[in-house]
Amino acid sequence: MTSTVAGRTTAATANGVGSSPARPDGTRKVRGEFAYSSDLWHEDMLWGATLRSPHPHARITGVDVSAAVAVPGVHAVLTHGDVPGLNRYGLEHPDQPVLADDVVRYRGEPVAVVAADHPETAQRAMKLIEVTYDELEPVTDAEDAVHGDVAELHPGGNVVRHAPIRRGEQTPQADVVVTGRYEVGMQDQAFLGPESGLAVPDGHGGVDLYVATQWLHVDQQQIVAALGLTPEQVRLTLAGVGGAFGGREDLSMQIHASLLALYTGKPVKMVYNREESFYGHVHRHPATMYYEHGATRDGRLVHVTARIYLDGGAYASSTGAVVGNAATLGVGPYDVPNVSIDCWGTYTNNPPCGAMRGFGAVQAAFGYESQMDKLADACGLSPTEIRRRNAMSEGTVMPTGQTVDSAAPVAELLDRLEGMPLPQPGSTADLRTLPGGVSNTTHGEGVVRGVGYAVGIKNICFSEGFDDYSTARVRLAAVGGQPAVTVQTAAAEVGQGLVTILQQIIRTELGVEQVTILPMDTSIGSAGSTSASRQSYMTGGAVRAAALKVRGALLSHAATRLSRTTAELHLDGGKLASVADGVLADLVDVLGEAEFDETVEWRHRPTEALDPETGRGNAHVQYGFAAHRAVVDVDTELGLVKVVSLDCVQDVGKALNPQAVVGQIQGGSAQGLGLAVMEEIQTEGGVIRNPSFTDYLIPTVLDMPPMNIDVLELADPHAPYGLRGVGEPPTISSTPAIVAAIRAATGKELLRVPVRPDHIV
Amino acid sequence: MIPFEYRRADDVSAAVDTVARNPTASFLGGGTNLVDHLKLGVATPEHLVDVSRLPLDDIEPGPDGGLRIGATARNSDTAADPDVRSRYPVLAEALLSGASGQLRNLATVGGNLLQRTRCAYFQDVTTPCNKREPGTGCSALEGYQRYHAILGASRHCVATHPSDMAVAMVALDATVHVQGPNGSRSLPAEELHRLPGDEPERDTVLEHGELITAVELPPLPFAANSAYRKVRDRASYAFALVSVAAALDVDDAGTVRDVRIAFGGLAHKPWRAHRAEAALRGGPATDDRAARAAEAELENAEPLAGNAFKIPMARGALTATLRRLSPLPTTR
Amino acid sequence: MRVNLTVNGERRRADDVWEGESLLYVLRERLGLPGSKNACEQGECGSCTVYLDDVPACACLVAAGQAEGREVRTVEGLADGDALDPVQQSFVDAGAVQCGFCTPGLVVAAHDLLRREPDPSDEEIREALAGNLCRCTGYEKILDAVHSAAGAR
Repeated sequence: MTSTVAGRTTAATANGVGSSPARPDGTRKVRGEFAYSSDLWHEDMLWGATLRSPHPHARITGVDVSAAVAVPGVHAVLTHGDVPGLNRYGLEHPDQPVLADDVVRYRGEPVAVVAADHPETAQRAMKLIEVTYDELEPVTDAEDAVHGDVAELHPGGNVVRHAPIRRGEQTPQADVVVTGRYEVGMQDQAFLGPESGLAVPDGHGGVDLYVATQWLHVDQQQIVAALGLTPEQVRLTLAGVGGAFGGREDLSMQIHASLLALYTGKPVKMVYNREESFYGHVHRHPATMYYEHGATRDGRLVHVTARIYLDGGAYASSTGAVVGNAATLGVGPYDVPNVSIDCWGTYTNNPPCGAMRGFGAVQAAFGYESQMDKLADACGLSPTEIRRRNAMSEGTVMPTGQTVDSAAPVAELLDRLEGMPLPQPGSTADLRTLPGGVSNTTHGEGVVRGVGYAVGIKNICFSEGFDDYSTARVRLAAVGGQPAVTVQTAAAEVGQGLVTILQQIIRTELGVEQVTILPMDTSIGSAGSTSASRQSYMTGGAVRAAALKVRGALLSHAATRLSRTTAELHLDGGKLASVADGVLADLVDVLGEAEFDETVEWRHRPTEALDPETGRGNAHVQYGFAAHRAVVDVDTELGLVKVVSLDCVQDVGKALNPQAVVGQIQGGSAQGLGLAVMEEIQTEGGVIRNPSFTDYLIPTVLDMPPMNIDVLELADPHAPYGLRGVGEPPTISSTPAIVAAIRAATGKELLRVPVRPDHIV
Repeated sequence: MIPFEYRRADDVSAAVDTVARNPTASFLGGGTNLVDHLKLGVATPEHLVDVSRLPLDDIEPGPDGGLRIGATARNSDTAADPDVRSRYPVLAEALLSGASGQLRNLATVGGNLLQRTRCAYFQDVTTPCNKREPGTGCSALEGYQRYHAILGASRHCVATHPSDMAVAMVALDATVHVQGPNGSRSLPAEELHRLPGDEPERDTVLEHGELITAVELPPLPFAANSAYRKVRDRASYAFALVSVAAALDVDDAGTVRDVRIAFGGLAHKPWRAHRAEAALRGGPATDDRAARAAEAELENAEPLAGNAFKIPMARGALTATLRRLSPLPTTR
Repeated sequence: MRVNLTVNGERRRADDVWEGESLLYVLRERLGLPGSKNACEQGECGSCTVYLDDVPACACLVAAGQAEGREVRTVEGLADGDALDPVQQSFVDAGAVQCGFCTPGLVVAAHDLLRREPDPSDEEIREALAGNLCRCTGYEKILDAVHSAAGAR
C-alpha cells in the first residue's frame, strides 16, 4: 500500500522512514570489528607525534631539531618552514598556523611534528626538540579582550565578531525588572575516540587520508591550501568516528600527518592520547552574560537587554557562527517586543573554542532561562506559567525580524511536561538512588527535592546566507537477482545513525530493501558538515532527491517497456504496480540490465546575512524546540545533587527513526546534565588544569536518571518529510532545567554552571 | 616514558634485594597508579620489579583475633571478603567507593596505600612541583586548589593523599607490615604516611627497598558499627573532596564509649581525628556534639583561597556519618 | 622482550615488545585485535575492558610484562562464530550503540555482570557499569540492552 508523507506518494516497504531498523554498522561495533580512525594499520607505517607549546602566549626565538633528528628510528622532524603552502588554516578565517612560526597563542599549540617507527620513539624524539621562547603576558579574560587595554593577539584586534540585535524601543519602561550576571564554564565535547588518522602517500606527490572528521571537504580545502596541492591530490576517506559533538569540525592531525607522509614517503599514523586530545580540539565557548528582563506586572515580557561575551580563545574557529547564534537566539523561545542584545566573540590566549552541540544557544539559554525563573518569582507566577504567557508560536516574529513560519509549540511542550508523572519521593532502601550514590554519603536525611523547567530554541542547518548544500549519488541496478541500491555521499557518520536513515529513505522512496551505503569520501561533492543538527535534513534531503530522480527515470523506462504512462505506475515493496491493475512486475525484471544512476546537489531555502548594525535578517532556515523538566534531590548538608528524573518533550517534525531520535534526545540531555553539575575545563592563566577523564568529569551511568521522552511530530512543510533537526535542542534546555531544580531545592542563586558541591554547602 | 627494565619477582626477599640495591628501581603492584605515571612521565624508574604476583594475597585471621590482609590481595577481593564486610564495613565501603570495578580488580592493598597524590601540578610535568621535582616550588599555592589540603600542609606542598582505603585503615588502627633489606618491621598505619614539611617528595616513612607485605586489622569489636562516606563531584569514580571513616561504640545510655575517626581529602595523609574523638567520648553522639567535634579537629585548619568549602563539608560529613552509626534518635 | 599469553582461547606470542607497552597496545598493535579501545589509556573510561584471568580489567594499565602467561578474553572473543553473544545482540537491538567507541568495554562489563547476576536490577546495572563512560547515549538504552540480554540468556 502507499502512504502520503509530506505530500508525495512513496513506496511502502519494511524498514523505511518512520521505523527503527538496526544500524548497518551495529554488528561490527559490538564485535569490536568496526575500524575507527585509531585502529588503522598499514605495512611499514610510521607514527607521528606533535610538539606543543608549553606557554599560552610567547614569541618563539629559536628551534633546534638536531637532537631529535639524530634519534634512531626517526624519519622526519618538521617545523613551520616545512609547510609548503599556506601556513594558516581555520574554519571561517585562516588564522591558525599549521605549525607555529613566530608566536604561540595558546598552551598546546603545535610547534613541530615528528615521524618515527614506534610511537614511543616519536615521543622521545619530540622531547629532544629545543624550542626557546620569550614569554608574553597572556590575555585570559574575554571582557578585557573587548574593552580592556591588552595586547592585540591578531591583526585587527581581539574582537572576532560583534553582533548587535535591535528591535523596538531601546529605552522601554517595564513594571517589573530583573537583572543577572551569569557564567558558563568551558565544556569539552569529550568524544571517546581520540583524534587520529592515517595518511598514505600515493607516490606521485599526493596523499590519501583516512580520518575521523565531521566534514571531509572543508578538511580537504584547508589541507590542500597548506600543502600547496590540488584537491585531486588530497583524497579523504572517513574512518570510523568515535563521537564528535562539534569537536571534530576543526582540523587536528590532518595536515600534520599528511605533511609527514609526503616528507617520508611512508604511511603515517597519528593518535592523540587523552591529554593531548584536550589540547587538540576546540571546546565550548565559556560565556559571561549580563541580562535585564522587563515585564508587565502580569508577567508579559516588555524588553530584554543583554551583553554576552564568548571567549573564543586563541583562534577564530567557528566563533563567528557561535556569536550569531547566541545573539539571534538570545531571548530564547519567547515573543519579546523590545530587544537590545550585544554579543561579542573574542580572541584570548585561552584554549581555542568553537563548535559544540548547541553552540551559542546553550550559553544563552542558561542566561535567559535563569532570568525567566527570576521573573516568575518577581511576578508571583509559576515557572511554567511565565513561560506560557510569553511563549512564541508559529507566526511569532523573532528579534531579527524573521517570522517563524512553521510549528513552534513552546506552550504545548510545557503542557506536556507538566502532564508527565512526577517521580515518587525516594525511599532510603537503595543508596544508589540517593545523592552521592555508592559513596554512601546520605541515607535520606537532609535531602531536599526540587523541580525545574526550561525551554530552548536552536537554529537548524547553516544560517546567515551560507550556501548550505549536500551532494548525493543513488544508483539502482539488479545485483544477484535482487534490486539493489548504493548510496554515496560525503556525509560524516559520527555515531548519530545517518547511515541507517539513508537506507530508510531509499527503502521508502524506491521500495528496495537492499541498500548499501558506500564509504564516505571526497570522490563525490561535499555533504556539508555533520553539525547544526543538519544531516538528516540536508543529506537526507539530497539522498531523497536523488532517489526521486532515479524513480522518475525508472518509471519512464518501465512505462516505455510496458506501454503504460509514467503517471499510473508506482513502486511498492520491490514490485512495479499500477493503480488500476495492481502488481505488474518484479522490480528486478523491470530493471534487467539497466542501471539508474543519479547525482544531486541539494540545498535548503536560502537565508540572509544579519544587518551588521541592527541584526535584522531572515538568518535561519528552521528552528528546533525542546523542553525539560528536572527533578533533583539535594543533600544540603554535603552539597550533593542527584538528578532524579530528566524528562524531555521535543518537536522533531517527523521521527525518521524513532529509536535514534530518542537516543539523540537522551544523549543530548546527558551532556546538558554534565554542564549543569560537573563538566568544566579548568583553566589557569590559559593553561588547562584537568586534561584527563579523572579530572574532567563527564556523567557516568550512576549520575544519569531515568529519562521519559515525549516526541512531537509537527511537520515543517519546508523540510524533507517535515523533519526538524534533532541533535542539538535537548542539550540546550537540560542544563537550565537542572539548575532551576537545584535552586528550587536550596534557595541558592547559582549564577554559574557547572554547579558544584561547594556552591551548595 | 623513559626506557626501563621489567622483571617479575618470584619471592619477597629477592624483590626487596633487587630494589634496595638499585636507587632507580621501583616495585610495581597492580599498576593502576604507576603505569599511568610512567605514561605521564611523572615516574621515571629504570627498573621495575613486579611484585603483583607474589603469594601475599591471603586474607586470614590475625594472631590476636584481628584480620591480616596480604599486600597483593586485590581491592575487589578485599572488599568482597566476608570478614571485612561484617567486621570492618568501613573498609569495604572505602574500597568500593574508590576507582571502578575494572581497576579494583587490578589494584593491590600495598599499591593502594602507596598511590600518589592526584594534585594537578604533580601530574603535569611541565609545572613546578616540589613533590615531583624537589626545589622547583609548589604551583598549587597560587593555583587550582579545589582538591588540596586544609590540614598539616606546608609552604612546600599542599597536596592531599588520594586513597580511600587508607583512610579506613587509619581509622581502624591498622598495622602495616614491611620487609626491607634489613629485615621486617611493623608500624601503625597512621604513621605510614607523613606530612609534607620540607620533604614533600616523601609520601611515607618507608625507606627505598622496603616492601609492604601485609596490613593487619586489630580485633576492634565495635568496628562492626563503622562506615565510610565520601563527598565528590560525581557519583562514581572521582577523588574525594572530603571523606570520613568512622567507627562508633555507644553504651545503652547512648554515651560514646569509644570512637574512631579519620578524614580523607584534607591532608597529605589520611587524617586521624584524635581531637574529634576526644571531644565525642563521654557524651551522646548528637548532631551538635558531632559538629563541635569536627570543629575541634578543624580548629587549626588553614584553608587556601580555593578550598575553604572543605570545612563545612567535613563538618557535615562527620555529622552525617555519626548520625548513621548512632542508635540515638537524631536531633538536628 | 617476548610476551606469551592466551587470547580468546589461543596461545599467542608477541615479539620485540618494548617494556613500556601496555597489554592494550600489545592487543591492538601487535596481535591484530583493535576491538578493545583506547579512549583514555589511563584507566578512566573502561573502553579497554577485557577479561584478565576471568575478571574484567583495564588493559591500558596492565604493563605488557604483567600479561605474561595470563589468559585474556577480549570483545572479539565473545561471539560464537557468526552468532553474537546475547549481550552483543541486545546492544544492537536496543539502540545502545551510537558511535560505538565505548561499546566493546561496555559489552565485556555487561557480560561479566550477567555471569555474576543473571537478572540485575537497574541499580545493580548502574553500579556494575559505573567504570565505563559513554558520551552518546545517556545510558538509558544501555540499561535497556542489559535487561534484554538478561531475559535472553
